Amino acid sequence: MPSGGNGASNGAGNAGTSGNVPMYKPYRHLKTLEGHTAAISCVKFSNDGNLLASASVDKTMILWSATNYSLIYRYEGHSSGISDLAWSSDSHYTCSASDDCTLRIWDARSPYECLKVLRGHTNFVFCVNFNPPSNLIVSGSFDETIRIWEVKTGKCVRMIKAHSMPISSVHFNRDGSLIVSGSHDGSCKIWDAKEGTCLKTLIDDKSPAVSFAKFSPNGKFILVATLDSTLKLSNYATGKFLKVYTGHTNKVFCITSAFSVTNGKYIVSGSEDNCVYLWDLQQKNILQRLEGYTDAVISVSCHPVQNEIASSGNHLDKTIRIWKQDA
Amino acid sequence: MNAPIIDPLQGDFPEVIEEYLEHGVIKCVAFNHRGSLLAAGCADGGCVIWDFETRGIAKEIRDSDCSAAITSVSWSKYGHRLLVSAADKSLTLWDVSTGEKIARTILQQTPLQARLNPGLSSPSLCLACPLSSAPMIVDFDIDCTTLLPVSVPEMPDVLAPPQRSKCPESNPPFSPAAACFNKCGDLVYIGNSKGEILIVDYKSVRVLALVSASGAAPVKNIVFSRNGQYLLTNSHDRTIRIYENLLPAKNVLKSLEDLGKNIDGLDGIEKMKTVGSKCLTLFREFQDSVTKMHWKAPCFSGDGEWVVGGSACKGEHKIYIWDRAGHLVKILEGPKEALIDLAWHPVHPIIVSVSLAGLVYIWAKDYTENWSAFAPDFKELEENEEYVEREDEFDLIPETEKVKVLDVNEDEEVDIDTVEKDAFSDSDTSVEELRYLPAEPIPDTNDQQDNLVESIKLIEGQISASPASEEAGQNGHHASSPQAEEMGETRGKRKRKPSEKAMELQAEKAKPLKGSGKTVRAKNRAAFDQETDDSINGGDDDDDAYY
Repeated sequence: MPSGGNGASNGAGNAGTSGNVPMYKPYRHLKTLEGHTAAISCVKFSNDGNLLASASVDKTMILWSATNYSLIYRYEGHSSGISDLAWSSDSHYTCSASDDCTLRIWDARSPYECLKVLRGHTNFVFCVNFNPPSNLIVSGSFDETIRIWEVKTGKCVRMIKAHSMPISSVHFNRDGSLIVSGSHDGSCKIWDAKEGTCLKTLIDDKSPAVSFAKFSPNGKFILVATLDSTLKLSNYATGKFLKVYTGHTNKVFCITSAFSVTNGKYIVSGSEDNCVYLWDLQQKNILQRLEGYTDAVISVSCHPVQNEIASSGNHLDKTIRIWKQDA
Repeated sequence: MNAPIIDPLQGDFPEVIEEYLEHGVIKCVAFNHRGSLLAAGCADGGCVIWDFETRGIAKEIRDSDCSAAITSVSWSKYGHRLLVSAADKSLTLWDVSTGEKIARTILQQTPLQARLNPGLSSPSLCLACPLSSAPMIVDFDIDCTTLLPVSVPEMPDVLAPPQRSKCPESNPPFSPAAACFNKCGDLVYIGNSKGEILIVDYKSVRVLALVSASGAAPVKNIVFSRNGQYLLTNSHDRTIRIYENLLPAKNVLKSLEDLGKNIDGLDGIEKMKTVGSKCLTLFREFQDSVTKMHWKAPCFSGDGEWVVGGSACKGEHKIYIWDRAGHLVKILEGPKEALIDLAWHPVHPIIVSVSLAGLVYIWAKDYTENWSAFAPDFKELEENEEYVEREDEFDLIPETEKVKVLDVNEDEEVDIDTVEKDAFSDSDTSVEELRYLPAEPIPDTNDQQDNLVESIKLIEGQISASPASEEAGQNGHHASSPQAEEMGETRGKRKRKPSEKAMELQAEKAKPLKGSGKTVRAKNRAAFDQETDDSINGGDDDDDAYY
């Protein structure tokens, strides 16, 4: 059942089979972080939950503390806007993907240096992720290729000509053996990370474009967002779409979504109607719409331990907002 | 994790050389428990650990005291420690994550093989097999060496006196024997020069059972499968024998004692033989009846389904693969250099072989893209099927609109975060396994950035000047290759498939490798143009850097 509230809870909304589903506790606005001078393309909490990184079209990346949300450092170095960032598993390094066709590996500890520049793509680098052991980085680009880089030396160990249009999203699964990629050509494919061979194609319609794809925490399911305002959860082994989440607006931007598993299982996503949406994973109903933004919400990230969500806004807004769930 | 979508019909053993690793002259290799790291000992006394996923060097271990060739490397169960034996009679125990030496001891003789106790998480106890002496247990904690018996004396009730000493004096000449720990590390299985297998409790230095082998040839290698269910011996009579282990996995010592108690009326050797027959039964024998060759470094595959052995003939690099029932399924032929060590990856169908020249070859399956991977509704068919069209399929105005039937129960609960128990973690999950060495990015220096442009020009110049015919085809390819930008001083010491890096490396260092181009084919990848691959594959003279 779609909700209507202004940031207020929608009630339990659970007409499900199990009777002991706890009442949904709403998320409330905790803090607004300002610091970027242009649209913020990505926010991500570190895996240890101590840091938050945000990347922006203003060519910089900012490191925030996740305990008091103060600004720790502003990384400069890219010559063009940044589209995505990723954290290493040990929370020591971040990698940013930029329109200047390079990726940069930054140290998240003092003195916050840029450790490596990964060159090789011939067009905007749009998405990036580390593998779980964090010895490899996968990146997807507007040059329609996926590249896998070795973290230690910065060399490109593999290039896969993956799609026929810009790649919007790449993600490793839990054990680093698979990569899922989504592209504007409408397809979502799964690749063998070691061999670079295509193992499966999930969607193959020319439209709508796939704007985001990622594995579930246990690596069995894939969450796919398409530019027809739909989010789908699929079991990739069978190829069947199990859940569909709608109600938000997503037709233009590659908005990121996230799994929230710290307290109840939710799907969280940004939207072009200036809100953050939360759905119940099983029931697929909208649990809450977080309002306050003055422009589209491009990126969301869930804290790994605490019940907090960070979200970032587009050009007219330029802020990061932190939402905390009621205790 | 990707089991459901990988084609099960492909056969679980490697077929072609995928690439090779190089770091000095390698003498021996060992995978860690999960196969994520490969340790190798070099001829100059150092050890190198490769991250097997990236095929890059993760760590180098070097002892300033030791410059003699390494004879064997062995991991502890959870990957925290590495035991290295060298030709200067030393045994050194290293801590892998810090790269520091824990202990070092010098033996009377050079240990050919040394293995850490697989049952302990931080073992300081190991089994060493010297060239011409009995196998011994070396305890680093108390700095003590214990010799193990290699034969059961004929006289009943007389056990070989345990020889415990800090510095063992010269012992009566024992014939060489092979030995290994069982899976939980509380028993040692010794194969002696009479072809017998002794089951020894090394703590009390007692022989508990004896298994006599058919054919009394000395045993050269003895090794268990990973799950401890099968035992393999390689004998001087050119036969590999597979035994089934009848003992239970846990509480082995107790079971052996119980077996011993239940036998009445027998003493000494006869008793041991009877107990022995209850511990191991001969399952299969493998030999090459045609060439009657000696085998080298035989071992099991990770799941115990396949047995692999290298041919010990000089000048040839052949790897034989049998299934456990005894059928020869594959012979892998490598470049014309003798094989000195072999290891099967614990998880994947990958074999690593070391050649006399010191190169580590990685053999893997020849992947062919599965056609059903290219579209969501593609399905592979066994044979042609007649297509029966729908009643209204060719109607101009179909009666029923195409409705995408959702045959999935959308209300079913979906579980996104429970993870299946890992098949490879044995019962004890309290100890954290060392799976990977952390990859710390080596900071770029400013020089590297500037040199990039210059080295591109340099290497492109080299390529065009090269006389080899296949490189002419590459030249045009390189000019547009985005990878040309990445060449720098940090070349690393690994070679990749010809379609990517090997072409550049070929120009730089012409490796004098000879190889039979017969069984080695460059893999077909979607990454690069077909015509480039073809131009490289054509001709038998282009054998450099393929291996």
